[in-house]
Amino acid sequence: MIGSAVVRHDRRANRHSITGPWTIGRVLVLVLITAHVLAVIFPFVWMLYSSLKTQREFISNVWSLPSSLNLDAYRTATLGGDLLGYATNSAIVTVSSVLAIVLASTAAGYALAIYRPRWVPAVEVGLLMAMAIPAYVALVPLVIMLRSAGLLDSLFGLILPTVAFNIPVSVFILRAHFATLPVDLLEAARIDGAGELRIFARIGIPLAVPAMFTIAIINIVWVWNDFLFPLVFINSPTKQTLAVGLTQFQGEHVTQYPVLMAAITLAALFTFLLYTIFQRQVVGGLTSGAVK
Amino acid sequence: METQTHFRPALKPVGQARRRRDSRSALILLAPALILVTIWVVFPILYAGFLALFTWDGAGTRQWIGLTNYSRIITDNIFWHSLANNLWIALVALVFQVFIGLIIAYCLVRIIPQVKRLYLFFYMVPVVISEICIGLLWSFVYNPSFGLLNGVLKALGMEFLTHGWLGDRQTAFIAVLITLCMTYLGLYVLLFVSAMQNISEDMFEAAKLDGCSNIRMFFSIAVPSISDSIQSTALLAIITSFKTFSLIWILTGGGPNQATEVVSTYLYKTGFLSFDSGYAATIGFTQMVLTALAGLVVMRALRRIGGTR
Repeated sequence: MIGSAVVRHDRRANRHSITGPWTIGRVLVLVLITAHVLAVIFPFVWMLYSSLKTQREFISNVWSLPSSLNLDAYRTATLGGDLLGYATNSAIVTVSSVLAIVLASTAAGYALAIYRPRWVPAVEVGLLMAMAIPAYVALVPLVIMLRSAGLLDSLFGLILPTVAFNIPVSVFILRAHFATLPVDLLEAARIDGAGELRIFARIGIPLAVPAMFTIAIINIVWVWNDFLFPLVFINSPTKQTLAVGLTQFQGEHVTQYPVLMAAITLAALFTFLLYTIFQRQVVGGLTSGAVK
Repeated sequence: METQTHFRPALKPVGQARRRRDSRSALILLAPALILVTIWVVFPILYAGFLALFTWDGAGTRQWIGLTNYSRIITDNIFWHSLANNLWIALVALVFQVFIGLIIAYCLVRIIPQVKRLYLFFYMVPVVISEICIGLLWSFVYNPSFGLLNGVLKALGMEFLTHGWLGDRQTAFIAVLITLCMTYLGLYVLLFVSAMQNISEDMFEAAKLDGCSNIRMFFSIAVPSISDSIQSTALLAIITSFKTFSLIWILTGGGPNQATEVVSTYLYKTGFLSFDSGYAATIGFTQMVLTALAGLVVMRALRRIGGTR
């Protein structure tokens, strides 16, 4: 069903140039799609070069190019607010959440793929439903639970529900991966007298490292970008994450357009670079995560 | 029984012991994930249904009011209006993200494969960047005085079209829909490109020899070959449409005058800005029940379509 989409994606990509000569139709398609790509990407390009303009330049003509390379806006963005503090909080939340997500879903994905006790389908249906239901449905109860546990307005209190809500998707991606594991290998280990947990640790995990890496990368993007949970669960500005902090920053610098552009650029930079470097993992994670 | 299997390693008891061992190993490995999901996902979702029977301001004592909140939501026009907006977003996503995504994917894979990798990279940029950045950026695009859109319109001599796009009831929702489409389209292009790459080349070769046009091949080969992928992607588009919050919250906050309100923004405002927590829980639980029902209906419909094909 889901197969090993994680692995499959890039392999068959560049195979042939069977498309033949450049007919008028093909050129037309190329022109139309190029125009569309430019429309999708232009706001980002505009943001980038607007962040290099001075306030005066920006107001006099919103879409002209900057007259000179001016990094003042970046200086104000990094020093004039608390973006670095927000980014640190985001990093703490992201790293700990992703570690927990990867560990818990690797074990769970392995269990669902390898063992088939009668109660497993019920667990799978439960996880599927948890995946489809929007997180905001649980907001009010979550706040009550976190408050009575004394975890409201703490990074740990933010991490717990973040981990739980990201586990189901990751479990299914890893289950699909473990389903391709050769059963003979596990049988051989069993005959050698290895315990089940030992087999998981010695055979399951080493063979799943690439898939675990994919899960990690895609979850870094999701957790880093999350907005709703920190917005509701964190009140103190010193504990706020970057996504919410950026809106804070925007409120404080509402008329300094180039500074805002610089701040948005900086905030977008991390996931953009992550995507550029780990394109294969991001693409693999998204394709296998979406095909449920 | 357990001790017996130890002493009698005959065939049948081994199977039974094995099943028991499997069950136990599965439980141990599943435990961390299941405990976390049960406590922090399943329980709060159900707890919302119970909290909906109370009224309180978020911090103070809860007061039991029975089913009052549920009868309130049935006649709450804003809730149904928000839900209708979610449905519009889902519909637009199906047409302008799933369908257009299919066409673009076909073009990239079959007609202009030379630029496939590059363009796919560009299409995916808005998908990986946080919705907050996208939202703040697009609020600049739509800004009435210093916006990119009005700036371009002015430069083209179409000053009469310039507009406070997000501040006007007439245009706000359309502006939001356009942003949503521009942002998520890349994901659907990606999913369909990776599905179409797995279609066997032979079919296209044969069709080409028969003189089939690309439009014909799109509808008769490409689309039917990846119908599974299209179904699950359509489901994903619908689910995502009901989850949407951040982009709309940043762009309009549900305004002006509730023109762009969706269930998520309405719930957030009710529970965390007006501190009507009991009612916010009601909105959440009602939405959960409706999502589950809709999911069942859609799944059954998809299965029927899949069956007849």
